[in-house]
Amino acid sequence: MPMSELLEQTRNGTLRDVHESSKLVPYMCDVWKRRGYVRYVATSELKRRQVDNVLGNVWHLLNPALQIGVYYIIFGQLLDVGDRSSQNFILFLTVGLFIFQFTQRATVDGAKSIVTNLGLIKAIKFPRAILPLTSTATEASAFWSSLVVIYFVALVSEGARWQWIVLPVLVVVQTFFNMGSAMVAARMTTYFRDTIQILPFFFRLLLYGSGVIFSVDAYAEDNSTISWLFTANPMYCFVTVARWTVFGGELQLRYVLSLSAWTVVLFVFGFLWFRAGEEQYARG
Amino acid sequence: MAESANAPTSEDSYAVSVEGADIKYRVYEDHLDGARAVILGRLRSRTAVTVHAVKDVSFSVAVGESIGVVGSNGSGKSTLLRGIAGLQSLDAGRIRVRGDAHLLGVAAALKPSLSGRRNVVLGGLAMGLSRSEVEAAMPEIIEFSGLDDAMARPMNTYSSGMRARLAFSIATMQVPDVLLIDEALAVGDKEFRERSLKKIRSIQERAGTVMMVTHNLNEIRRTCTRALWINQGVLVEDGPVEDVLHSYETSTL
Repeated sequence: MPMSELLEQTRNGTLRDVHESSKLVPYMCDVWKRRGYVRYVATSELKRRQVDNVLGNVWHLLNPALQIGVYYIIFGQLLDVGDRSSQNFILFLTVGLFIFQFTQRATVDGAKSIVTNLGLIKAIKFPRAILPLTSTATEASAFWSSLVVIYFVALVSEGARWQWIVLPVLVVVQTFFNMGSAMVAARMTTYFRDTIQILPFFFRLLLYGSGVIFSVDAYAEDNSTISWLFTANPMYCFVTVARWTVFGGELQLRYVLSLSAWTVVLFVFGFLWFRAGEEQYARG
Repeated sequence: MAESANAPTSEDSYAVSVEGADIKYRVYEDHLDGARAVILGRLRSRTAVTVHAVKDVSFSVAVGESIGVVGSNGSGKSTLLRGIAGLQSLDAGRIRVRGDAHLLGVAAALKPSLSGRRNVVLGGLAMGLSRSEVEAAMPEIIEFSGLDDAMARPMNTYSSGMRARLAFSIATMQVPDVLLIDEALAVGDKEFRERSLKKIRSIQERAGTVMMVTHNLNEIRRTCTRALWINQGVLVEDGPVEDVLHSYETSTL
């Protein structure tokens, strides 16, 4: 076969540096090209979770329901913090816990995503960012059942309101926030394996600082330093805005601004920082 | 270094171009993971051993050429192929490839707990194929690998020969522009090796470029037109198969 004909048949016409993953745009195209991978792994992982346990998908709802029960007994009945906010405490807890754990799960899964896929990483060259993105997508598709529970509890206890339509939008924004968080956790874990052990404690601390199980309105209402600290905490903002969608009332713009800024910054930083370590992940 | 008569003359016809590639591994004598390594590593002077696996290797491969790589164990052949596949970072030099390079390594499962079939889908999607392209390739993969019923079983139940069959199918699912084969045929049975060589030949006919590392010199004689001999990370000889294999076999290095 003549050389010109041979060259014709190769798909890419030019010699490309195989280590040029440092270029941003081709990298993003490569990620986008693999959206089928993300979809496939997310759906098959959800199916696997259903099959693995006897109660299957029910655990998705039963687990948080049991947690809500525990927190309700301790904080709502024994310590009686429910009175302070004079709100429907079950709904208050449901929204807070579901929203908070959405980010917690995605981050912990993201931290594990490199370690659990080493076989794939060592065998095939592909943009590694799809691994934390896939684990986040899995949690996001699992979250829609939690959303149904929130709507159900809200309907029974408070009734429907127009703000409901904002909640799915918030979940989409939070998914991007989670992707950023997962990518940061994924690279941190390759430097420092113990990240996976430390994360649960970090999130436990964050849980108390985000007003998930008791209302911090008493501290956060005025313009004190503490109130600005809460505004700077993205988890507090996500939880607060999510509660507004079911309880209504007044929504302070600064929470929306804070969580939007956090989402953009964390997603962009997470992506760039994760990609900067691209060639290190194959070392395990 | 002997310049080969087969070596491509113009850069336009290169499928692979390796210029002064240098690859080092840093290995710590006592590998600690996590906090202790970070803390102790800073306190102590690091007792790192640098393994210089590939030393200033340069060569180029023309489109459609097939090259065999020989050398004793630990001479850096696999590291070089990983470098060409983009799976191993370089310390110096540059490696360029025209199109996609797929590495077919000593077969490990992508995800051992998943079935062979799911591993195929996973591998195909990670390589950038669409779901329908993978499904379209599936009957051929099942036929080629001869795994029929075993496709539904988890890959950690596979024998090394079965893993090799599946890995070969995954790597050639999409005909790569450059196929890098690293000892992957060694564990297969005779029938599988014949089938693989036939497949390699069909890739060659479709203008594919093949580089294979193997200790089976007959495979190189049958498949390749040019050979590289690498010893302790250094490219010792580059030339027509018979010349290189002759000096490799008679050498005392």
